[in-house]
Amino acid sequence: MTKFIIVIAKILLTILILLVLLDWTYTTVYLHSSNRGKVENVFNSKAENYDVVILGSSRANNHFVPELFEKKGLKTFNYGMSGAHLFEASLLLKLMAERNYKIKTVILEADLGLCNEKESEMIAAKFLPYIHHSEIIKNHFSSQENFNELYYIPFYRYVDFDALIGFREMYNTATSKPTNILDHLGYHPLINKKQGNMKNDIRALKPIRNKYYEEIKQICQQNNYKLITVMTPMCANVKGLDYFEKANQIYPEIHNLENVVQGDQYFSSCGHLNDAGARMFTKIVIEKFF
Amino acid sequence: MFFNSLIFAIFLPIVFLLYWFVFSKTKSTQNAFLVVVSYYFYSCWDWRFLFLLLFSTLLCYYTGIKIEKSIGERERKFWFWLSVVFNLGFLAIFKYYNFFAFSFSEALNNIGIQSSPLLLDVILPVGISFYTFHGLSYVIDIYYKRIQSEKDVIDYALFVSYFPLLVAGPIERATHLLPQVKLKRSFDFEKAKEGVYQIIWGLVKKVVIADTCATYANSIFDNYTSMNSLSLILGAVYFAFQIYGDFSGYSDMALGMSKLFGLDLLRNFNYPYFSRDIAEFWRRWHISLSSWFRDYLYIPLGGSRGSKLKQVRNVFIIFVVSGFWHGANWTFLAWGFINAMYFLPSLLLGTNRNNMETAELHWNFNSIKVFFSILATFSITCLAWIFFRAKSIHTAFDYISTIFTNGNFASQFLQNQRYSYELLWLILAFVLVEWNSRYKIEPISGKFSWLKMALCLLTIIALGTYSDYKEFIYFQF
Repeated sequence: MTKFIIVIAKILLTILILLVLLDWTYTTVYLHSSNRGKVENVFNSKAENYDVVILGSSRANNHFVPELFEKKGLKTFNYGMSGAHLFEASLLLKLMAERNYKIKTVILEADLGLCNEKESEMIAAKFLPYIHHSEIIKNHFSSQENFNELYYIPFYRYVDFDALIGFREMYNTATSKPTNILDHLGYHPLINKKQGNMKNDIRALKPIRNKYYEEIKQICQQNNYKLITVMTPMCANVKGLDYFEKANQIYPEIHNLENVVQGDQYFSSCGHLNDAGARMFTKIVIEKFF
Repeated sequence: MFFNSLIFAIFLPIVFLLYWFVFSKTKSTQNAFLVVVSYYFYSCWDWRFLFLLLFSTLLCYYTGIKIEKSIGERERKFWFWLSVVFNLGFLAIFKYYNFFAFSFSEALNNIGIQSSPLLLDVILPVGISFYTFHGLSYVIDIYYKRIQSEKDVIDYALFVSYFPLLVAGPIERATHLLPQVKLKRSFDFEKAKEGVYQIIWGLVKKVVIADTCATYANSIFDNYTSMNSLSLILGAVYFAFQIYGDFSGYSDMALGMSKLFGLDLLRNFNYPYFSRDIAEFWRRWHISLSSWFRDYLYIPLGGSRGSKLKQVRNVFIIFVVSGFWHGANWTFLAWGFINAMYFLPSLLLGTNRNNMETAELHWNFNSIKVFFSILATFSITCLAWIFFRAKSIHTAFDYISTIFTNGNFASQFLQNQRYSYELLWLILAFVLVEWNSRYKIEPISGKFSWLKMALCLLTIIALGTYSDYKEFIYFQF
């Protein structure tokens, strides 16, 4: 039995060594990458100057066309990320501030995301490789349920989110396989018209006083970033459109631009404008605020 | 509690330590402890089904003794059929009733008689097909006087409910497991080490091969209408490796952990994808089920004796019943039927026992034939798997017809955000490892075992699929 216990101990030791080595390897690869995604692009960057930075979910990523801002002479980047919640928008802005980004205006898309304070796993995972290299990321995640496992167990985060930051993503990062995420200054145009279902039901969503929106306001104030918060368009056939009014009652400073683009021909799906719609919307935003 | 879950990783060492350090005094304490642990393990799924397991155990235990003690043939038959009817009755109610009720109602509707089926709101108790077959084989063996009935209820309960084999087999025989259960086990270092290697290799098969293949196979099968010929072929290949990795991985883990407790279970898989014909495939795939049907259905029906027509009938019965054992769906019946069709030529030509030895490849002409025989057998197996995996027979036919009519062999980007061809490298590596270790139970033991084990652990940690977790496929059967 003693021999067997030694065998088991050796196996456990091997596992531990492998976890530490793999953790170190993956993290090192991610620390040297800045061209596959927006999170690593910000994390591995130094001070940048922007006139306009756009934050939010896919409803920011697909709706704001930086090229049109640039034509106005405004240096712009769209940091909206498909699937992101305000949890991730806040963290990304914190990292920008930490790196001394000089930003004149932050445009934040805060509408449907106002109703929850949860992390979006598919985006939050992208910050996890850096959790041991950034106090800001560590503190931001410290209130999460599985923080202890993510922080203290080597390689746990890469196993838990293997589809997002696991072997395949690490390999693609190590081999500098290109993505289109940073193309068009971060804007991702939706080309198809009426591809998706042109109706939506958001009656179940209830806007709340959101901790991460409050954080974003605070960061902007501390760093002298002008904050413009907007609610972006949805198609006409939406049940529960009063959501936007309710959000406005909690946060009167949010500009309700939900209905400034009308007509299904401008939408790719009910919650997302196509490229033509996005260009029309961006022009409206520029005219209104710049 | 799945074998590849964190909770099981805590459960198993605790059971192991208690078994060898607290309950190892006598055979009785060892067995009693394993029975309690097995019942706890089973109750983790749904404690209510524990009563079903207990009832099935006590029924077979009692009827087994009664059959043996019966004076007349009528009495023997009574107890025998009582056990068979109850065991199969439970299986029929839980697994097949809704299928038959629905099919019957549909048939009535088709001939113009409107009816709605009276369906039962029941869920399938996990492992019912496996422990029912344990009990049945035991009772049949006593009836045919191959074995004597077990008088110790604890020993018998352990034979039926031993946790490594309880929910997905292998389907044990009383002649194999009960004699081991009757003896006090002493710790055997070599056996335990072999068990650990087998568990690790089973994990590689499950989390690296099966679960990764599953994400690709699911993306392809769920969206087969938008897939081209290449993706559909790859989908079938991925599913073939998914089900092999899943089930043989489970079996490896079951056999491996049983060795930790000093008990050997029946081997369930013997590198089936290296078979040169379909008869060989069935001697190597889910061996415990195939041999169960051979011994308790095929041979009593006459087996390969009698006229050719009778032999053909027996082959079709055994394959269709085997398909139906997997689940109450026409797709499983079709899968069994197709395999019977595959088997038929070798039966008629008398070549079904041609390839009894493990396949070899050398640099000669004969090896080219062997290689293409293996490839052909694998290809037709994949074709049959399409029926096993598809939601309906119509879907399966549609899937196959698109393979042959689409004609587009370009790589496609799937819904799982991966290219369809990406997994081929992993599968190729897996096939090479399996080929090189086809004379062994697992590839880790032997020379450089520590290095091979470390590589397996590395593969499990780095290449395993964890976020898109998949249950073991055979748990649903």
